[in-house]
Amino acid sequence: MTLQVAPPAVGMSEDVRAGAERQSGWLVVAEQECRDLWTSGRGLVLLFLFSVLLSAVTYLTSTNQALNFLEQRESVNLVLQFAVAVGVLATLVVSADGISGERERGTLETLLVTPVPRRSIIADKLIAALSLWFATFLVSIPYVWVLARGVGILGQALALGLCVGTLVALGLGCIGLLISAVCNSNKTSIAASIFLLLILFAPTQLPSGLPQGWFFEVLLRANPVASGLAYISSMLVEGHSWTQDLSFLITPLLTAIIAGGALILAGPRLVRLTRGVNAG
Amino acid sequence: MRKLLLIGLLVGIFTVLPSPALAAAPLDAKVDAEPAQVSTVLGGRFKITTPITNTGARPSGEILAHLNVASIEGSVYVDPEDWSSNRSQQLSLQPGESRKLAWEIQAVNAGHFAAYVVVVPYGSNVVGNEGLVISPLVNIDVASRSTLSAGGALPVVITVPLLLGLAAAGTFFRARRRGSGR
Amino acid sequence: MTITVEAMQLTKQYGGRSAIEDVSFTASQGEIVGLLGPNGAGKTTTIRLLTTVLEPTSGEFSIAGHRSTAAPEIRRSIGVLPESSGYPSHQTGGEYLRYHGRLYGLSRSQARSASAELLASVGLAERSRSSISTYSRGMRQRLGIARALINDPVVVFLDEPTLGLDPAGQAQVLNIIRSIAKARDATVVLSTHVLPEVEEVCSKVVILNHGRVVASGSVGEVIKTALIEQSAQLRVPLDLVERARNVLAGFPDLTIDQAAGQPDVLILAVDRPGTGVAPGEVMNEVLAAITAAGIPVLRFELEGARLSDAFLKMTSEAVA
Repeated sequence: MTLQVAPPAVGMSEDVRAGAERQSGWLVVAEQECRDLWTSGRGLVLLFLFSVLLSAVTYLTSTNQALNFLEQRESVNLVLQFAVAVGVLATLVVSADGISGERERGTLETLLVTPVPRRSIIADKLIAALSLWFATFLVSIPYVWVLARGVGILGQALALGLCVGTLVALGLGCIGLLISAVCNSNKTSIAASIFLLLILFAPTQLPSGLPQGWFFEVLLRANPVASGLAYISSMLVEGHSWTQDLSFLITPLLTAIIAGGALILAGPRLVRLTRGVNAG
Repeated sequence: MRKLLLIGLLVGIFTVLPSPALAAAPLDAKVDAEPAQVSTVLGGRFKITTPITNTGARPSGEILAHLNVASIEGSVYVDPEDWSSNRSQQLSLQPGESRKLAWEIQAVNAGHFAAYVVVVPYGSNVVGNEGLVISPLVNIDVASRSTLSAGGALPVVITVPLLLGLAAAGTFFRARRRGSGR
Repeated sequence: MTITVEAMQLTKQYGGRSAIEDVSFTASQGEIVGLLGPNGAGKTTTIRLLTTVLEPTSGEFSIAGHRSTAAPEIRRSIGVLPESSGYPSHQTGGEYLRYHGRLYGLSRSQARSASAELLASVGLAERSRSSISTYSRGMRQRLGIARALINDPVVVFLDEPTLGLDPAGQAQVLNIIRSIAKARDATVVLSTHVLPEVEEVCSKVVILNHGRVVASGSVGEVIKTALIEQSAQLRVPLDLVERARNVLAGFPDLTIDQAAGQPDVLILAVDRPGTGVAPGEVMNEVLAAITAAGIPVLRFELEGARLSDAFLKMTSEAVA
């Protein structure tokens, strides 16, 4: 079979060149990454497992005859904490795969030779990673609705979960991409990201009865995940007003700003064939 | 002899006369509470107000008003922090001045309860109950209600994983078909 | 002819080590330029510099009239098939091409039609809905070439496009490469160390060794530059060997030796190559004389007239 490439169809050259003249590629990478995540089934499997977990928690809560008002609020808080934990973990892992994964799979070079701006590549990968957080939050909505409708905190819980969770996911997603950019190995990138997340989650798992001195307070407030979850708890369980513990949101906000800023500023130097800012 | 008399006089003065550092002057204040009776359901939010009036001839200095909630029937454990997150308010009153304090409360347990406000001098050592002023009790009846049932949760508990599982299975099946080249 | 690729003293250093040094060459529209060199010569580095994947330490280049500082414009004008290019296994061939079309700014419908046309051109139309994970190596290379053409580029860079392919696959790819230059009037820069490919399709070659250009020009010019001694093995019937010697004695520039252990084979060598005597012409005259003398030629093998000979000589000289 003799194969020959024909000239492009009449007018196609002009169309292609004109198309290439336009600002090309914005959101195309995001669209494809989202399609890869969701149509391949990986994202849906995660959501399915997450929904099984939430179903178990919700069913156990609703069959508890001795459940009191506060325990129900704590159940709502627990569902939101699960949603943030799972959503942030998924976002972090996907973003940690963003650049180092493409390097390892050999697909980065074909992306680098397209006219898509480097910052656009990074932004689109972040958007795709964040889609996991938003999907996780969406799945948690019906469970929060079931648990919260009797205690009158549905709107507050959903607004809190969305705002705080998005802030935390954004910050950690940016950190995941930064880690990915400086690791040549995808395994190292993902392992480092998961380890970081475990460190950030650790303070939230300490027994509440432990004496909590200044060191714990610093540990809590310096930790974007722990402080974000603490803010949610303070409003949902302890009934604080939204301004009362606003200082808890400083770290998640700063994390998002600093990590996001680093990505924007160093983006073009990060998205390279080999790791590091000065490589290549 | 004169020395002994002088020493005895000084000891008597310091024994008889209470030191300002050792005992607080009694607080001349009056505290009311409104309403006297609240009926609500579990989770219900309400507000009580406590007008505090300095009935004395001197300024009150810094005083602290503190809200408490107690169960007056049954053996319900009450954690006041769960009922109200802001249970202390600091103020000072001039002679004759009156101020109305508001307290936001949410009924987190069912049963019969009483709320009251205690006003104490702030920053002094209070001995006995001379410095305490207590408001009348606000009777709170909280009716229980069922806010969650297994039957109500079942549709969500079953439907959401089912739909997601079917979607995941569908995409895997589709991916396998593409992978086999068909 | 319009010059579409111009590299001027390109240098790329990593720490104290030079990957390439002072590399300069040009390529014109419609030309197929072979970038040759042994492993580690700097071919891939050169291509990565010209395709803006890497930044040069010094030197400049221009692609399709765009200077090296205009990276986005260069990227819009080129198509690239990198060496060992990876493919997303869960995408179909059609999806993959449409995605890359959209990366170059094509609308969805434009990307769809360009993708369908290119897949048909490279013989993958029937497998456009199959997952890339089911493609053979040759199919993936063809898909990669199709992707390199999705934006109708002015210059196409192909890095080892026939690597790992069987002879049939290699032939298919070479046909495609020829048609790219001819039908689309695009410049093709073909990096390879498979010399027969270069002889078959390239109008110009650039030989790299240890990061430097050791020869450049047409295939004939490069062979001439190499000053290789040409020789030939001539086999005639055993009883006519003496007659053949007598005929060959009439060529003063020719030395004649007997092949060891083969009494019917004569080794002919052209003296003083590069002194105005074209060895190829001498050998032509030798053949003509032998056949004119009625001596059957059982075998005639020319050595030193191939690109591979020039290549080996140049790359080993550079090592020495």
